[in-house]
Amino acid sequence: MKNYSRITPEGTRDYLFEECRSRHRIEKKLSDIFSARGFREVMTPGLEYYDVFDPAFSGIGQEVLFKMSDRQGRIVVMRPDNTLPIARLAATRLQNLRKPLRLFYVQPIYRSHPGLAGRSSEDVQAGVELLGAGGFRADLEVLATAVEALNACAPGFRMEIGHAGFFRSLAKSLPASGDFRERVRGAVESKNYGALDVCLSGLGDSPQIRALRALPRLYGGEEVFEKAAPFCTGELEKTLRSLRRLYRTLAGLGLGGRLMADLGLVQRNDYYTGIVFSAYLEGCGDAVLRGGRYDGLLEHFGEPMPAVGFGVDVDALTRAALERRAARTPSRADVLVHGGDGYELAALKHAAELIAKGLRCETSVFPTEEDAAAYARACGIRRMDVVGSGIRTVRFGEAKA
Amino acid sequence: MRPLRIALTKGRLEEKAVSLFERAGYDCSALRNKGRRLILPLAGGGMEAVLCKAPDVITYVEHGVCDAGVVGKDTILEKGGTFYEMLDLGFGRCRFALAGPKGTDFFSGYSARTVASKYPNVAANYFAGKAMDVRIIKIEGSVELAPLLGLADAIVDLVETGTTLRENGLQVIETLCGVSARFIVGASSLKFRRQEIEALASRLERAAQAEGPERKAQP
Repeated sequence: MKNYSRITPEGTRDYLFEECRSRHRIEKKLSDIFSARGFREVMTPGLEYYDVFDPAFSGIGQEVLFKMSDRQGRIVVMRPDNTLPIARLAATRLQNLRKPLRLFYVQPIYRSHPGLAGRSSEDVQAGVELLGAGGFRADLEVLATAVEALNACAPGFRMEIGHAGFFRSLAKSLPASGDFRERVRGAVESKNYGALDVCLSGLGDSPQIRALRALPRLYGGEEVFEKAAPFCTGELEKTLRSLRRLYRTLAGLGLGGRLMADLGLVQRNDYYTGIVFSAYLEGCGDAVLRGGRYDGLLEHFGEPMPAVGFGVDVDALTRAALERRAARTPSRADVLVHGGDGYELAALKHAAELIAKGLRCETSVFPTEEDAAAYARACGIRRMDVVGSGIRTVRFGEAKA
Repeated sequence: MRPLRIALTKGRLEEKAVSLFERAGYDCSALRNKGRRLILPLAGGGMEAVLCKAPDVITYVEHGVCDAGVVGKDTILEKGGTFYEMLDLGFGRCRFALAGPKGTDFFSGYSARTVASKYPNVAANYFAGKAMDVRIIKIEGSVELAPLLGLADAIVDLVETGTTLRENGLQVIETLCGVSARFIVGASSLKFRRQEIEALASRLERAAQAEGPERKAQP
């Protein structure tokens, strides 16, 4: 039998030294921003019942879930998404709290991807959910939080905003087959104009069909709203106006050329009902931040309420931060403290004093001073304090680590 | 900023892709004299062409290391992925078909069928759509051999003229769908380099339309 004890499962990896520090730094930055804006942290279990992520309303395919069963044979999954557990939490334990709820999280999600494509199965996400509030101000609050988070961690981002209402409302004019609707949705999402034309041919030339045809091309700067106006009547006219207002307000946050509108933006998670948005980093193929309004989701957990939120990929932000500071050498202790025989306690006390002064300090675990010195030289520790009846400081020159 | 990087499928689609870029007015002299180089300047260095195998076009575009690519719909259907499929370029046109030995009825009876294919996902999706349980065996080379050797009842493969099928005593049972070369764009690249990509796409679209008068878009 093959033995896998020396490798980690595909899609996972160990995080070392600088990577850990960098990831913690990003996590702290994000947490600080979220809590400063009044969001409170929650942690949900890594294991949840399958039913929380029912593909019928989550849009998460069962093939991406890591599944197992509990002692009663109920299906349990590794958390594949953070919004659904928080919706569950808000609808149950937090149902009596004053709304709106402002919650944030920093925790990993687990998804199984097709093999050998370089995708990770374990991704730390940070995000906020604003539950129990609808309307422009709530949308703006969450978007502004997203912008502040990205500005702090990866200022070169691009953000696009759209509205699930465009596709949702236009799709009502389509034949009822869910399969067909999914094909049209896929063609809009992938801006596959040709396939969309084929799907829609034979459905006549109603204003809705004409608008659907135009949908994937309606992206870009503010000019999009002018281009879209002829297609948007009735309910959609209102949607377009409110999206434009949001766009303008966001542009006022100093986003400038980093902001786009995309009316053909349909998120993969089917639960979005209002605004949807994503953010991208250059050279990072997939979106690093996704979010939107999901007013229908809490109903599945028995407590209908409007909600809006986003999640950002902490690992992608960490990679970007590490690339910006690629040449940094790994951090080493400033001082090695070696206690002679009988002076172990004195050495510990001396080390504690140095640490209190702000130095990074290792206490030697070697039996002799020579061994300790050889170690310090080999690892590039420039100073050794030898504690005996007195304290003697030895300094080493530039050494290759 | 680095030049816009376009991944081109080597082999069958390469010549037609290069001539499309030429007709669209882009200088392809480096691609015409490529030697063994894999990354070549395009349009006098304004863009870069990367030559790779079809599935790798999708991989490089999805990961954002190439901005756009030219790849067959057959590969897109088999491999899937997240990117914008912006243009049907109209060349490399053929179809996916289910084919079996002449004179046999693939769909009759209730015994489970075995199907050989170079495109196991395309085959699996097709039969799942028909709610048929079929054993699918992946074959790397000439798939026509599998039914001839008695390994499979039928094959799912790309068919252009049908000559290979005929010469080996096989016939098309059903056509799954048509395929052709597509221009794909990475999601992130479209946000960062929209003007360049749209300019390229509209020039390619015009050149492709000028070429094939009877071209028709396919899903």
